[in-house]
Amino acid sequence: MESYLYLILGLAAIVCAYRAMISTRLLSSILYLACVSAMVSVILYLLGAQQVAVIELSVGAGLVTVLMVYALSVVGDDARDLLSVIPKPLAILIVVLSAFFVAIMVFPLVEPPLDVTSFSLTVVLWQQRVLDVWIQIALIFSGVLGVLGLLSEREATPISHTERFADQIVGTSHEEVHS
Amino acid sequence: MAGTLSVLLIGLPWLGALLVWLSGDARPKILHILAVGTSVSAGLLSLILLAFAGSQPAVNFKFGGWFGDFTLVADGLGATLAAVACVVGSLAVIYSVDYMQGEAQLRRYYAFILLFIGAMTGLVLSGNLFFTFFFWEITALCSYALISYYNDDPKAVSGGMKALIITQVGGVGLLAGALAAFSNLGSFQIADLLKGATSIPAGLLAFIAYGFLLAAAAKSAQFPFHTWLPDAMEAPTPVSALIHAATMVNAGVYLLARFYPAFAQVPGWTLAVTLVGMLSALTAGLMALTATDLKRALAYSTVSQLGYMVYAIGVGGVFASQFHLLNHAVFKALLFLSAGAVIHSVGTRDMRKMGGLGSKMPFIRNVFIIGALALAGVPIFNGFWSKEFILEAGLKQGPVWAFGFMLFGAGLTAFYTIRMTWLVFYGQPREQLHVHDSGLAMKISTGLLATGALTTWLLAGPLSGLMSGSLPYHAIEPISTINLVMDVLTGAGTWLALIILLVGAGLWVVVQRSPNPIPQAHWFTELMGTFHEELVSSSFGFEWLNQQVVAAVKKSAAVLQKTQTGELNWNILGIIIALLAVLVMLFWGV
Amino acid sequence: MNISPLNVVLLVIIGLLAVGIYGLLITRNLIKIVLVLQILVKSAMLALVLAGKVGNNLGLGQSLAATVIVADTVVAVVGLALAVQVRRRFGTLDVADISTLRG
Repeated sequence: MESYLYLILGLAAIVCAYRAMISTRLLSSILYLACVSAMVSVILYLLGAQQVAVIELSVGAGLVTVLMVYALSVVGDDARDLLSVIPKPLAILIVVLSAFFVAIMVFPLVEPPLDVTSFSLTVVLWQQRVLDVWIQIALIFSGVLGVLGLLSEREATPISHTERFADQIVGTSHEEVHS
Repeated sequence: MAGTLSVLLIGLPWLGALLVWLSGDARPKILHILAVGTSVSAGLLSLILLAFAGSQPAVNFKFGGWFGDFTLVADGLGATLAAVACVVGSLAVIYSVDYMQGEAQLRRYYAFILLFIGAMTGLVLSGNLFFTFFFWEITALCSYALISYYNDDPKAVSGGMKALIITQVGGVGLLAGALAAFSNLGSFQIADLLKGATSIPAGLLAFIAYGFLLAAAAKSAQFPFHTWLPDAMEAPTPVSALIHAATMVNAGVYLLARFYPAFAQVPGWTLAVTLVGMLSALTAGLMALTATDLKRALAYSTVSQLGYMVYAIGVGGVFASQFHLLNHAVFKALLFLSAGAVIHSVGTRDMRKMGGLGSKMPFIRNVFIIGALALAGVPIFNGFWSKEFILEAGLKQGPVWAFGFMLFGAGLTAFYTIRMTWLVFYGQPREQLHVHDSGLAMKISTGLLATGALTTWLLAGPLSGLMSGSLPYHAIEPISTINLVMDVLTGAGTWLALIILLVGAGLWVVVQRSPNPIPQAHWFTELMGTFHEELVSSSFGFEWLNQQVVAAVKKSAAVLQKTQTGELNWNILGIIIALLAVLVMLFWGV
Repeated sequence: MNISPLNVVLLVIIGLLAVGIYGLLITRNLIKIVLVLQILVKSAMLALVLAGKVGNNLGLGQSLAATVIVADTVVAVVGLALAVQVRRRFGTLDVADISTLRG
């Protein structure tokens, strides 16, 4: 019975993901992504990872969606139906092959646990994996920089030839540091 | 102490390069001071390092993982070559103060020269093959950048590209050899390879040995890769001096000398080395005979002299080769720098347009003649002692036919050296050229080198002592300078060589005496012209081989360039295909 | 049909992975690429929790998943910021037009 519950939720997540990927309108893509996030967080909850499920629901379905919608409102939705650069059969072949090999290697590994004596998230996160917390802090700082880049209203000056050349070398990433 | 010095010898020039690069082109004076300061202090430190030379690693950084420890070994071989690189390099830098006066983009020039010097020191001091390869590649990069310094000149750019590609082919040989050695020994340490050479299976050892020979031949511009060095003449002259005397081409000879004890037992290897050296010495000598470009003539003579060193290693005279390397570095740097002074002054490299310059720039003429006499192997000058020492070793231990050819080569050397000197400094001025005397910095560096060309042979005793004391696998016997002098003076080869040399010189006099030496109607010029047309312009047909290599590399680069579409989706496809490859490997591995 | 719930979750993971990879390959809009990355990361996060469950150390799996959520959000923020700046500079979000790295 539990299997069917997972199956329904999982299928819903995959279908939403597919819709999000395939949709030509960015806004509906974003909403579908929120749905994926919600489904995934329910699955996480059912798996027993309650805390992460809650974080995922609030961050994945909430924060990221808001960010995306904001970015969309800044750049505007150019709803062109862009044709793929890569031939679709090739893409499908690659995807199927990757999925096949992953599946073949991973399926035998998954077996239900024998006993259920496990550390709680708090113990693991704050005592065993303190390093992760520091990494998260560092990440959040770069996230703040990213938000600044997102919010900056400065219009790009027309690029001169030399600047353009510099861009070719360093990419456009310095822009975000500036702003 | 030796450890600190070794690190400083690499670090100081590199630090200088960094500072030069950062200080910008606006104030050239600062660039000159920085470059001269760092290189000269590195030169002085390298001389101090000689006193601390020893066979044990002076520096040992743990790198963990597969690379092994990063060791710097300041033994006799390494310390001597480091001293050559730093001292001659610093003289070239001093000389550049005059030569490069007023050039744009000085910092690019100085930064690469200092990087070059530091990399060369690292290459000869490194005790870890992997890092030897690392420094090896940096020298290749620097030579490319410096040869193509005048990057609006297509000849300079293609010359640099050729040098880069040909020496990369050699680099592949070095890397393959190093990896093969690692696969068997589990260590990149050079000392382990020298010690464990007998335990390596014969086939694998032969692979390593010939891989290293390929690397050395490409780097030192030896047969059949001898065509990149003359094309590298488009570089500013101090760079040519640096490449020919202090850095770059010495690396190949160093590599052979370093691994001689390990590879001497490989069947055919010593013969192959002898042959490579002999063919280089002869073909390059013949090409120098017909060259009309002053720097090209000198470049051919470098290939030919390097041929002598390689030949010496082939017949087992490791010390003789290193002694000649030291002397050659001094007199070749002298020749290049004084030739550079002439070129800088008259504005052409064509010897047919020069002539009679001696009276107008007497100082340069005098030092050039000192260098030329050393190159020709005239007694008392340093080139004489080491060349005769090589010939002695060749007569005692090598095949007689090779010795005969090398003797012939000595005559050739005398002939083209005198021809070169005559064409530039004597005779009637053939064209009205505006001549000005050279600057102070030029005189300082050439003067110091001229003193060196007269005296470095006195160092033979200490040098052999240093090498025999710190090279446990090479079995070099210490020989005092007096003994060496006696050896050379009593050897049959010396007198034979001197006779050949006189014949060579006399031949030039005959040619010179016959009327009308230079205009086209002259029989000798005609003969040489035909010779040049038929054989030399194509480097005896090996230009074709080198061009094929270069063309193949360029073609494959063009093909690979197509994969750089700049489109994100294709890049992602590449990443995912790599992921797929990893998955497939894991699948089969499990 | 006797298939364990954990295997079903694994199927979901692989399904999300496949959709994500396919999306990365065919999507040309920068914002949408960021979006597709989110799908991929969700699949990875689910896999971490599943591995924690299977390896009988759900706490570890959860803690790593929490890190992944943070990283993922930051990726989204930076990616979107880049997309916005690219849009300002190049006037387009189509990655096929932004090919200044062409060799």
